[in-house]
Amino acid sequence: MKIIIRITLLLIGIFNFMNLQAQFNPEKICRVENGQLIFTINLNWSEKEKQELEELFDLDSMLLVKVYSGKTTIGLDNEKWIVKRINSSLVELSKPVSSKSEKSIQLNDLFLVIDKWMNFTGKVNESSVIYGVNDFKIPYAFTYDKTKGQFYLPAFKSATNVYLSGSFNGWSTTQTPMKKVNDGWMIDVNLKPGKYTYKYIVDGKWKQDPNNQLSEADGAGGLNSVLFCSNHLFELEGYHGARKVVVTGNFYNWNTKGIAMNRTTKGWALPIYLRDGTYAYKFIVDYQWMTDPANPSFRKDGDGNLNSFLGIGEPYLFKIEGFTTANKVILTGSFNNWNENELVMNKTKTGWELPYVIAPGNYEYKFIIDGKWKLDTANPFTTGSGEGQNSFIALKANHLFELKNYQYIKDAIITGSFNGWSPNGYRMHKQDGKWIFPIFLQPGKYTYKFILDGTWILDPENILYEQNEYNTNNSVIWIE
Amino acid sequence: MRIRRIIFNSILNLRKNVYKNGHKIILFPMSILVLQFCLSFSILPSESGNHFPGYLLSYPITSIQANNYAPEFNLKSDTILIPLKRAGRLFLIEAKIDDQTGNLVFDTGANTLALNSTYFRDHVKSGGAVSNGITGDVGLVEQITAGKIEFSELSYKNIRADLVNLGHIENHRGVKILGLIGFNMIKNLEIIFDPKNSTLKLIRIDKKGERMNKALAEFKSDYSQKIEGNSNILFLQGKVAGKNLNFCFDTAAETNAISSDSNKSILNTLTITRRTTLKGAGSARSEVLFGRMNDFRIGGNPINGMETIITNLDALTEAYNTKTDGMLGYNFLEQGTFCINFVKKQFGIHFTKSEEK
Repeated sequence: MKIIIRITLLLIGIFNFMNLQAQFNPEKICRVENGQLIFTINLNWSEKEKQELEELFDLDSMLLVKVYSGKTTIGLDNEKWIVKRINSSLVELSKPVSSKSEKSIQLNDLFLVIDKWMNFTGKVNESSVIYGVNDFKIPYAFTYDKTKGQFYLPAFKSATNVYLSGSFNGWSTTQTPMKKVNDGWMIDVNLKPGKYTYKYIVDGKWKQDPNNQLSEADGAGGLNSVLFCSNHLFELEGYHGARKVVVTGNFYNWNTKGIAMNRTTKGWALPIYLRDGTYAYKFIVDYQWMTDPANPSFRKDGDGNLNSFLGIGEPYLFKIEGFTTANKVILTGSFNNWNENELVMNKTKTGWELPYVIAPGNYEYKFIIDGKWKLDTANPFTTGSGEGQNSFIALKANHLFELKNYQYIKDAIITGSFNGWSPNGYRMHKQDGKWIFPIFLQPGKYTYKFILDGTWILDPENILYEQNEYNTNNSVIWIE
Repeated sequence: MRIRRIIFNSILNLRKNVYKNGHKIILFPMSILVLQFCLSFSILPSESGNHFPGYLLSYPITSIQANNYAPEFNLKSDTILIPLKRAGRLFLIEAKIDDQTGNLVFDTGANTLALNSTYFRDHVKSGGAVSNGITGDVGLVEQITAGKIEFSELSYKNIRADLVNLGHIENHRGVKILGLIGFNMIKNLEIIFDPKNSTLKLIRIDKKGERMNKALAEFKSDYSQKIEGNSNILFLQGKVAGKNLNFCFDTAAETNAISSDSNKSILNTLTITRRTTLKGAGSARSEVLFGRMNDFRIGGNPINGMETIITNLDALTEAYNTKTDGMLGYNFLEQGTFCINFVKKQFGIHFTKSEEK
């Protein structure tokens, strides 16, 4: 009997305790009533919930400390808050709705606030996609051959004009008119391997590609068609009797479902886009795993299994001259998260080298020679300063910052939106009487300035500039 | 302090955002533009829906050529359909202005054409000394003349525009912005704006506002109202908590807005889910609330759950010289298709029915 009473008491206790754990519903915390802004606050909220309260409603942490300590009136920043006790766990914190604004606000702040409130998704960086395979209903809706993509729209025969608009032409509504052909419309576009999103514009109306089964949200309640320009063909000869052949690899997280290959006259094939890098893969033929018989490159995985592997993109040869008596030289950098063991360099007659495939981009790196970190002295481009100084390389650089007529400057730095305005950002190199800095920039807008011996200046050669939040100007470039 | 208030409140709308940093030599550029609007268009009612008299009077520089907003149709067609691009919640029109190609933000909250100083500061200045009688301030806003503006199949020649800093829109939305275009450039055309399908249809009309081509399908309005006044800004009569409110129809407002000065019973109906105080120097701060409208009606049609910010909107009232209780922006635009005919002074909405949505 005692046990039953104890259990009952315990259950009542738990029930009461749970009851005290107040519901945290952001919809029900704040209201406006007769000109008063009122927050209903539960004194039993956890620290995490209090923090959320602070963040959602921009309440000062000092204000909440005072509320929780039982103060009934609180003055803060020229505003008077009243705390009213509702019951043992609830209080109402209130003040008049402020209908005045006392200060001009940086519009940047408001943009950030609205972006946060509206849940705007950031710009999707299409170059970060690792792999992709097309899925068209008819084979000729899109074809791709190394550099040229051909779009074919066998529909809308009676339309007056059809344009192609997508991520490859900055979503231009005017730049890419299609040509009328017998069954519809067609256009050739120069495209590099990669992922692209697009739509057709038929007599002014946006249309998804009716023959493309790949799509993604367009950020405006509709869908964009998605395609990939392939840079690799997986091929498996023979196995005509197989029911299903798929390929899987590290690009697909070794998912056993794999990506289905298509039947061809020779056997099986799959054109695929793979971002520059090194990949391990295997075919699965009717549930039987196998390496690629046509690919002589194999690599053992951690469990002793063999995988086929392939490199996409051109390798860059990292080299360091000398140090021939060193035992071990490691290449480390932002391309491998500064891993200090992974990339062991190969000894040559005169030094050390390592060919390594990485995607186009800007990278910082250093060599570790028998445990000692060293800059690449053959490379004049660096970032940072002192201990934090690293060698810098822009692979497949597509822009060159140049500064003429400043031969007598000792130190020239380029900084901007591309490196978070780091003041000891990218150190330029003086060559043939001018300062230069090659860089890889994704398409888009960038703002920047030069810092010459500590003095910030606009790019004197660039007529485009805009006012910044400090009421000075920043130079502006657009990368197509 | 009054001017400061004008500046802050104005930035709630992108266009006002933009103007706030209008020009480095102006102490309070936004206020100047605000005043310029007032002087240009609203205070001086103009004839037949065109605003030349206002313009000329506000800029007493006699050599300035009046804007010619009568576009040239390059095609014989009586109607054009402009595909609009999207950037965040903004609607963009691809345009070519002199030697620059880029986008114009479709911003019906803008009284006049404004061009981005990044690309147009070297254009020939067409003056623009503005003084005003409201706050007693005197300031200067730079104006330029664009030789040729082309978008879709329309082109305009020698158009005067305000020069403003639009860098912030570019930086936050990642697109090249040549300027802002409001109703003023297309006022003598019938406008059918379809936000859901991202299109802007422009139809040629005669001096009475009747379509040149009578064969075109009529726009079916679920709600229609008369356009009051002669300004380039469109005001709609909405109801919250049964009270009539005057809303500015603003295609560049990424959210609706309601004045924090509104009647208490109006604010009582809002669900508040966010609040922020934007801090200036020292202890100065401004409050912005965010939430939902639970009791909004337009012409008896209830629209529930639209997002809105709640803040001081005095600046809009001053800018438009019309009591402005709120702005209807993106969430309102999502509700249907809009037909605007400034010549006939008719506004209509065709609501997207739930099954169409």
